[in-house]
Amino acid sequence: MECVFGLVGKGFALVVADTSAVNSILVHKSNEDKIMILDSHKLMGASGEAGDRAQFTEYIQKNVALYQFRNGIPLTTAAAANFTRGELATALRKSPYMVNIILAGYDKETGPSLYYIDYIASLHKVDKAAFGYGSYFSLSMMDRHYHSNMTLEEAVDLVDKCIMEIRSRLVVAPPNFVIKIVDQDGAREYAWRESIKDAAHISTA
Amino acid sequence: MVVFLGFANLLLTISCNLIIYLFEQVMSMKFDTSGLESHHGMLFGARDELSSGLSAAPSFDIPNSNDFDCFQKEAIQMVKPAKGTTTLAFIFKEASQSVKKIIEINPYMLGTMAGGAADCQFWHRNLGIKCRLHELANKRRISVTGASKLLANILYNYRGMGLSVGTMIAGWDETGPGLYYVDSEGGRLKGTRFSVGSGSPYAYGVLDNGYRYDMSVEEAAELARRSIYHATFRDGASGGVASVYYVGPNGWKKLSGDDVAELHYSYYPVEPAVVEQEMVET
Amino acid sequence: MSRRYDSRTTIFSPEGRLYQVEYAMEAIGNAGTAIGILSKDGVVLVGEKKVTSKLLQTSTSTEKMYKIDDHVACAVAGIMSDANILINTARVQAQRYTYAYQEPMPVEQLVQSLCDTKQGYTQFGGLRPFGVSFLFAGWDKNYGFQLYMSDPSGNYGGWKAAAIGANSQAAQSMLKQDYKDDITREEAVQLVLKVLSKTMDSTSLTSDKLELAEVFLSSGKVKYQLHHHMTTTSTTEQEGKKRRKRAEICGPMQSTLLSPLWASEKVKDVIQYKPIYS
Repeated sequence: MECVFGLVGKGFALVVADTSAVNSILVHKSNEDKIMILDSHKLMGASGEAGDRAQFTEYIQKNVALYQFRNGIPLTTAAAANFTRGELATALRKSPYMVNIILAGYDKETGPSLYYIDYIASLHKVDKAAFGYGSYFSLSMMDRHYHSNMTLEEAVDLVDKCIMEIRSRLVVAPPNFVIKIVDQDGAREYAWRESIKDAAHISTA
Repeated sequence: MVVFLGFANLLLTISCNLIIYLFEQVMSMKFDTSGLESHHGMLFGARDELSSGLSAAPSFDIPNSNDFDCFQKEAIQMVKPAKGTTTLAFIFKEASQSVKKIIEINPYMLGTMAGGAADCQFWHRNLGIKCRLHELANKRRISVTGASKLLANILYNYRGMGLSVGTMIAGWDETGPGLYYVDSEGGRLKGTRFSVGSGSPYAYGVLDNGYRYDMSVEEAAELARRSIYHATFRDGASGGVASVYYVGPNGWKKLSGDDVAELHYSYYPVEPAVVEQEMVET
Repeated sequence: MSRRYDSRTTIFSPEGRLYQVEYAMEAIGNAGTAIGILSKDGVVLVGEKKVTSKLLQTSTSTEKMYKIDDHVACAVAGIMSDANILINTARVQAQRYTYAYQEPMPVEQLVQSLCDTKQGYTQFGGLRPFGVSFLFAGWDKNYGFQLYMSDPSGNYGGWKAAAIGANSQAAQSMLKQDYKDDITREEAVQLVLKVLSKTMDSTSLTSDKLELAEVFLSSGKVKYQLHHHMTTTSTTEQEGKKRRKRAEICGPMQSTLLSPLWASEKVKDVIQYKPIYS
């Protein structure tokens, strides 16, 4: 089942997500990217209902882009987090989005930051966060091994520890994970942790 | 290339049930006029007032029934059964195929049906219209990506309102073969291999095992056919005709349409049993 | 006379003009002057009050200066009833932004949203444009201190020094001559008063005719300080010394004598500013 988690290190923040697209007992796909790159310096890892996840993250992404086009300046990570929270909150009593979000970003003034936003629209600025069944394992793992100002190597090491623990202890563990980071050079994919290859990798040519 | 395969089974039966069901609803409403008369005006009057003042969440008229809970439950039961279907589609080196539970969106694009037959049919036809309009406006065929997003967005707007659609959109566009899974919960996945419907886990079993990217069209068609056959064998709700379509650069083509019962006997011919002992009347 | 094209705002005249908008600008030409200067460490706004009467109770409200949010203030010239509407929408916009993003609205966005409203009234039928020009002074983390000027057409621009209202042309050309890029806030106050005193119709620049507002940073926070309705009281020597310099200029003075008076330390009675928001 779903595992999305993230942490803040020295000069960067990172988000990890499983890549399984599941329908009841069936795994439709094991290379579904659940971390959206919101803009040049923001990452949005999301878990929740498949439709809501895709629609909501895209909606936020488009609004962040619209803001930048209109005003010529990007939203800060804090502003984007608060905006996202607001959108979830207004939808909550109408047609709620079942999505939990981990938002990571890097700003010139404030450096890296990580926000925890759940589907009932609560927002917290945190150093480390996790959602889904994987959170039971990754949270304690991060509580034990996390320290401030972690280097990228230390952080990735911790992420791998979490992934290993999830794979070995969680009954419904997803096979594959994707790791993305954001630092002063921008948001990007960092690595995949795959134990199953998804079908054939076809060339679109 | 895309191999597209689907399976038609209880389609007719389901449709019949639908009609009968609706009929019964109408009847009961006609008889039950006493409690409804006053309700009727009030109910709809109130609704209009509300909707004019507020930008209400998407909704539809409340059915004219005095036992709404029961109606809702039955209505969901009516359209919900995702059982009784197996469809699958996959991309491989050369081509693509599909079956009777397949709707021809245009000469280059097919959609499979699982879930509510009427919902699937309606929204696929609707999608067909939108794709054609796109073609007229832009002088080029819509991409599979675009078409599937169109459908997914529509279904997402109706989320929670009882639609039941599980579909794959397979086609050939300027970028080559494309395959997407789209459902009424708003899910939309790009992939190379999908199966949808109640028999889909069985179909996956055979499909995953036999799949290679560099199959020939014949191999792919046979894999698809066999996957559907085995799914219908194990899935009590699936059955009927297994049709195989193939989508290549020049559009789709139907390759075969076999009754699964006949397939069974061609895969596993009846062997004459050796009579070990005759019963003899003493 | 061309009565056909000036009765409706939505119609262009054959020469391509929107008369109603031009008339609105004309109305502003009669209003009290307001001048703004952008300095490296703050923005200064000054306005000349036109409504002065002994009977008028002015101690609690301002006539030309309005605070929009903690980091933005504006000076107004034109029809005050129109201005009140716009100021209110600006305040609402600023609060909506903070509600959505939990951070202050960037100054230019605030100006733009207000100008979008103004523009709407030059295009849609049956409406009259707002007879108001604004000077906006503000600070945000993206572009620091900023000064904007807007007119009834909905046009706006960022300025180093700008003037609106009566004699704004004259004031503008004086500012053009005297403005230096590295001007400090203290110097800007002096310049702004000098220009105002020279362009005002009345010969004397007295404190009860003035409103002066400053936006600046104080220990990392944006501060808006408003000086108006100055009363004359005695202050202690040390307290007075700091204030004196600026205070003197606000006392009764002849505009021609302005410069010598600035430097003088002679005034005993110091005019005490009463900051209403600080």
